[in-house]
Amino acid sequence: MSEYTPFEMIAYTGSRVLEDERIVFVGTGLPIIAAMHAQLTHAPNLYMIYEAGSLAPILEMGMPLSVGDTRAARKACYLKGLCGAFELTQRGCADYAFIGGAQVDMYGNICSTIEGSNYDKPGIRFPGSGGAGAMAANCEKTIAIMALEKRRFVKKLDFVTSIGFGDGSPDYREKAGVMGSGPYRVITNQALFGFDEETKRMTLLEVKPGRTPQDIQDLVDFELIIPPDVKEMAEPTDEDLRLLRDVIDAEGYFLKRVIKK
Amino acid sequence: MINTVSSKIKNISTLQYKEKKFEYWGPTPDEARKKMVEKSHAQKDKRVTLKEAVATHIKDGINLGIGGFVNTRVPVAIIHEIIRHGARDLTLSFQSNSICPELLAGAMILDPDRVSIRRVELAWWGYEIIGIAPLVRYLSTNGIIEMDDYTNYGMSVRFKAAAMGIPFIPVRDHGGSDMELVNRGKMIECPFTGKNVYLLPACHPDVGIVHTTAADMYGNARIFGAHCTCPEIAMAATTTIMTTEKIISTENIRSYPNLTEIPYPVVDTVTEQPYGSYPGASYGYYWFDMDHLRMFRSLCDDFRKTGNKEGLKKYYDEYIFSCDTYDDFLEKVGYKTLKKLKDLDGGQSIILT
Repeated sequence: MSEYTPFEMIAYTGSRVLEDERIVFVGTGLPIIAAMHAQLTHAPNLYMIYEAGSLAPILEMGMPLSVGDTRAARKACYLKGLCGAFELTQRGCADYAFIGGAQVDMYGNICSTIEGSNYDKPGIRFPGSGGAGAMAANCEKTIAIMALEKRRFVKKLDFVTSIGFGDGSPDYREKAGVMGSGPYRVITNQALFGFDEETKRMTLLEVKPGRTPQDIQDLVDFELIIPPDVKEMAEPTDEDLRLLRDVIDAEGYFLKRVIKK
Repeated sequence: MINTVSSKIKNISTLQYKEKKFEYWGPTPDEARKKMVEKSHAQKDKRVTLKEAVATHIKDGINLGIGGFVNTRVPVAIIHEIIRHGARDLTLSFQSNSICPELLAGAMILDPDRVSIRRVELAWWGYEIIGIAPLVRYLSTNGIIEMDDYTNYGMSVRFKAAAMGIPFIPVRDHGGSDMELVNRGKMIECPFTGKNVYLLPACHPDVGIVHTTAADMYGNARIFGAHCTCPEIAMAATTTIMTTEKIISTENIRSYPNLTEIPYPVVDTVTEQPYGSYPGASYGYYWFDMDHLRMFRSLCDDFRKTGNKEGLKKYYDEYIFSCDTYDDFLEKVGYKTLKKLKDLDGGQSIILT
């Protein structure tokens, strides 16, 4: 088997998580790549929705470089604006939200607004919610892509941008007035997480071959639920890597990025 | 009797914030209605130069609603003219944008007596693949501008509520996130279902700025590619300044009235400005210029990291202040670059007939 990079592992795992005959609300970068890979392999009847307004485009001009890229509108079958895309979501047409962020907590709440607790004068200002807050609220299942680091898997967020299971209480999302069922998977290059049905806490599902559950716990600041049957993550085959490198992100905009230390 | 409730989220994050007293950050729904009623609703030739449009309508202290989405169909030509004209104490409203608010922020850093931003109601400010927006980071972390955060749907539907002539709209997002605490929405108990539902106030900009695919001289406009939130912003604003890639005949508009996304009564000025979104993209005409965006962004980032304004100053002098019109700027960008971007669009389908 060929060597693969962390980004390729994330994109491949993202693809594996998506089922056929569903609609995925994608974010820029790895989510688009994961969805394109799924379409080319096990999910030919999976469609994407882009927040600028396009539903089920045919990406024959190449991978859109952002969700607002005009290429994301190519041969769509429905093309309106942001209200159109998010109202389809609010109505229940978007099965998966694919979002990222700077911090995640054990209940799958995500921060992408600020670092440092003072909203009026934060330590760092991130771009903001964008679509993520609305996607996490009203897509049926939320999939997050995160870098597996202690400073990102935190006990307490600086700001809740995208709602997960809140404080873990069973009626939190209902009280919040949102409709999706909430966090479903958290994807990193070394581990795949789900959420415990009862406690709503993040649960380790799979680890990268060669890693142990303890290795993963060491990179997470809160206590994970680690069941006895943690599996090994599947690795991309040569054909998967060919699709990712030569067909989907042929120019290497996302997969060839260098990770900053 | 409406019960105001909360999803009691205050213990989930470490957030600290100042409570905002509710007020509309632009015209109230009643003021916006009055202004629309008072306007002439005649079909008259609204074509003016951008200089005239901006000189007439851009004033200190206004709420400026910015159209487009991130790097797509962003009204850059209008922003350049606003910077030349000057506008202080602005409130900005948009969903997601890149170069438009960054250009205004850069102008503010160079000369706050010419351009200044007081506060921003938004969902997202950045460049996506090209990187974070350095100037919002600078202004926000130094406490220079006030932020009010919503989701992309939240900002879009606030413009939509304003476009519908209603004072607020219920939504199924924001609740349970810290946006519920910091922004100006309110959680209530729905009078029909008895369940919690979040309400957002309508957002009426004083001036909406949008760039469209094609329009007639009255302001009936077509938009191809994603609409973003341009129809809603144009209809929400009490004044709308529009640039368009191409002026088409009203006969063409009347042949396919279903294609009109912005109707003439809500438009105040129309200016034909090819490449009016450059270095952003306009579907059917040109793709975005990543090199130019990267170049401008790196000048902003240099300032953020070093405090040195020289690079920024050179950019503004070269591309904005030494240009009388946007066409002068495009001439500096050059034919070859514009031709390459036209080729990269790949001839996406638009209907001008």
